[in-house]
Amino acid sequence: MPPPALTTVRARTLFTPLDAGGRADTVTRRLANAIRLGLLLDGERLPAESQLAGQLGVSTVTLREALATLRTMGLVETRRGRGGGSFVRAPDDADRLERPLRLLSLHGLRDIGDHRAAIASTAARLAAERALVSDITTLREHAERLRGATALTDRRRADARLHIEIAATAQSPRLTRAEMDLWSEIGDLVWLPMEGRDVTSAARDHDLLIDAIEARAPERAREIAEQHVAAETDRLLELRLSLHRR
Amino acid sequence: MTAQVTSGPAAPREDEHLLADITATIGRVVRSVTEVGAAMTALAAAARSGRRPLRRADLAALRPLVGQVLTRHRGFAAGAGVVLAPDALTDAPRCIDWWWADRGSGPGQLEVDLDPASAEFYDYTTTEWYREPARTGQPCVAGPYVDYICTHEYTFTVSVPMVDDSRFVGVAGADILAGEVERMLLPKLSLLGRAGRPAVLVSGNGRVIASSTARILPGTVLRSSGTSTAAAGRLPWMLIGGPEPAA
Repeated sequence: MPPPALTTVRARTLFTPLDAGGRADTVTRRLANAIRLGLLLDGERLPAESQLAGQLGVSTVTLREALATLRTMGLVETRRGRGGGSFVRAPDDADRLERPLRLLSLHGLRDIGDHRAAIASTAARLAAERALVSDITTLREHAERLRGATALTDRRRADARLHIEIAATAQSPRLTRAEMDLWSEIGDLVWLPMEGRDVTSAARDHDLLIDAIEARAPERAREIAEQHVAAETDRLLELRLSLHRR
Repeated sequence: MTAQVTSGPAAPREDEHLLADITATIGRVVRSVTEVGAAMTALAAAARSGRRPLRRADLAALRPLVGQVLTRHRGFAAGAGVVLAPDALTDAPRCIDWWWADRGSGPGQLEVDLDPASAEFYDYTTTEWYREPARTGQPCVAGPYVDYICTHEYTFTVSVPMVDDSRFVGVAGADILAGEVERMLLPKLSLLGRAGRPAVLVSGNGRVIASSTARILPGTVLRSSGTSTAAAGRLPWMLIGGPEPAA
């Protein structure tokens, strides 16, 4: 019997639409993240190529390219013949947590931090200049959503969404896209469960930031956003260094 | 920097002249969207009188009309569809049936997370384009806003309420790229601006839509512009004078 199509929550998480002409690396990243996050389980058989390609909204050629990359990353195994197909090979726990971080150099992490700081601080400053009362209500709702999120994946998504909303409040599609791209790249790292990230400290930063936006205090908003990103970057740098101390 | 204005609303006639073309163009989109809404309302009425459940699958009947909105207003309407009121359907608590225009790879259907328990929950009931027609029973031109859900651009959404037997069942609507609106407005606005003080067009909530001066840019807020209400058949936009040119 063919394996069932991936359904419900996992499907929604995996299969939010790709941008037009979705590329193999986007598919690779999405599947790799799903495996690392445990959305796809070790040993699980992936749907048939044509079916999976359809669900992801890409051609089978693109999907095959992505699967080839995942095989070289050791995250997917393809068996031929009867009962064959593509199977998930989840890295063990320590590896799962550390691997994304190990792949980055200190220089790379610092660079990501610089990029995030540039985007987030400008978005915060412009949001403070351009927010309407209704925008503030939306931002507060998203801050609340993060506070209520318990699972790490939910926190990551709620956190990303809040920062994306701030960029949208800045009335800039480009800054908004930049935040979306950054969060799809580093979201997992920000909420890496190795060292329990304190949701209350993140929430406090967000509250202060929204307060500044509401008060139409652009410079204060910029400063808070910059410090918020800098603190997260420092924490990641510390974590990265600690991988060598153990 | 929050721009300040020194003069009040421009004369109504100037306003009407400037907005004549865009009002007509958006009016045509509203009419197309109203057809979609009417078809949806008819589906709801038929289900009600036949005591049949209204299902998600029933919405497939609307798709030719939605496709027509996108082809009829190609280059102007970037997306269109219907968004149902919570519990309007029997088999989906919330539902968006929204399609974006052909971007080379054929029209595509928007997929969003509508599970209130999810961290990525998209609560459309709080959006201006849903809330306003629900509240007023009138068509609405919401925006401009950064639409990171569908067009990924600076966007207006026109929406009309769908009402069956005095029950609000949702909105039918279309997305319009802000760049297209500005393209239609800018030549006239510049002419006005040349005649004297800069001319700035703002939305009902004070957001700048188009301007004849680089000192007041689209997307910024004119805090002192006050508000204007949507009159039927007229855009809720206001033409106001910008600051006096620097001496």
